Amino acid sequence: MASPCATSAPEAALGVLPRSDGSAKYSHAGYTVTASVNGPIEAQRKDENPYEAFVDVIVRPAAGVGGTRERHLESILQSSLSHIILIKNFPRCLIQIVLQIEDTPENDYVNTKLVQASLNFAIMPALFQTAVLALLSAGVPMRATAAATAVAVVPQDGVKKTVVDPSPRDIEIAQSVHVLAFTSHGELLLAESEGDFTVKEWDGIYETAKKTCCHSTPAKDGMEMVLDEEASAGPDMRHFLRSTMESKVAADLYWK
Amino acid sequence: MATANSRPTVLPGDEIDPSLIPQSKNKPLRLGPGLRHIPPNTILPTVAGQLITLPHKSSMWVEYNSNRYTPTASDLIIGTILRSGPDFYYVSLSPYTASATLPHLSFEGATKKTRPQLVPGSLVYARVTLANKHMDPELECASASTGKADGLGPLTGGMVFDVSLGFARRLLMGRSRQEGKVEVLELLGGDEGKLSFETAVGRNGKVWVGSENTKTVVIVGRALKETDEKGLGVEAQRKLVRRLVKETR
Repeated sequence: MASPCATSAPEAALGVLPRSDGSAKYSHAGYTVTASVNGPIEAQRKDENPYEAFVDVIVRPAAGVGGTRERHLESILQSSLSHIILIKNFPRCLIQIVLQIEDTPENDYVNTKLVQASLNFAIMPALFQTAVLALLSAGVPMRATAAATAVAVVPQDGVKKTVVDPSPRDIEIAQSVHVLAFTSHGELLLAESEGDFTVKEWDGIYETAKKTCCHSTPAKDGMEMVLDEEASAGPDMRHFLRSTMESKVAADLYWK
Repeated sequence: MATANSRPTVLPGDEIDPSLIPQSKNKPLRLGPGLRHIPPNTILPTVAGQLITLPHKSSMWVEYNSNRYTPTASDLIIGTILRSGPDFYYVSLSPYTASATLPHLSFEGATKKTRPQLVPGSLVYARVTLANKHMDPELECASASTGKADGLGPLTGGMVFDVSLGFARRLLMGRSRQEGKVEVLELLGGDEGKLSFETAVGRNGKVWVGSENTKTVVIVGRALKETDEKGLGVEAQRKLVRRLVKETR
């Protein structure tokens, strides 16, 4: 049985932590993550770079302390977020992003136990999306916005099926799991894969992920064109980001 | 009244409609905060906010609210003295950022013998003279050309309240009542509140309130913070002032 939250639309709230420079709470596909962003602030001596800001990403698990798995997620997020933040504008500074995982979907089939040092790509899109929202809420200058999605190739009745935002059960039986992130300009920002797959399969995954992350805004040609073909491919991340930010800006500038 | 389309909400990296970019033959285009120019002729927003263009001034910027102050030259700020060096005071503009320097002699009428002695923790109202991403910011409390303070200098007594940067900018507007829709200060000092107090607003999101009466300082500070945090309109501000004054009478 598929968990009901796997298909739900993403939800976000900005500025949830009043003391930080920027914060966001995001939930989608059963994952809930809260992020805080502080920066640009003074970097520690060892992190200081005379040419660019240091982006520090900290991932905290829902229970216990972070381990190797979190360090790995942090390093992936750090390198991709550094590409969209204008780090050259803030030399010798630190931009600190703390991501607190609050909720993860339960696997109905196995006992949920915190397994250390194993990859968990399904949570990457939630972490990435929360970080981007928190950066936007903090007003950190960025090159572009970005969206991420997870895609799994699941064998079903002898046919390989591509699943966007896979559930824990999907991941367990999946042949390969992929995380892709795209900037708002449609450039590939992050591509991490795990498992067995062919180049042709990857091309298909790339197209699926790109469709989810960078739907072209349908209102371009005057009339709203609803693309019915594969509407279930996943939520329109770009539209979601825009509408979330629009309501935030409208609330901030109520006096205008 | 500008239509919604002439002031679009932009996200970082969004394309700006070329028709919105002011085209002036004799005035160069001026870009304000939140925009960056990529040579030869691309202009992209870097933050999420509302794009504001002033065709008659040939300028454009992105209006947004945030909490972290980035120093810009000629901004008025309220700083806290951290310590004193041989020639400078080290001043904190916002928590956890590199300190700014304020020369000992950059006060009105200051000489080596008669300069103000400021202890760590005291407050100054100063102007940013140098803001450069590669250097620590520099401040002054007297104009370098005229030597006049023009209201800048040490702030004694009173209390500092933290507000968001957007609210500080609204308070600093020449006609904050009409343009910024902030009326609390006028109401508190006017017939509604009948309080006597003085304020200094720093672009770094700090408001200093001074008065002989401690109660007044607290009322004014609370009114400002509440207006900022709850996003009160003019009518709600009037109500708030009435309530605060009633509570404390």
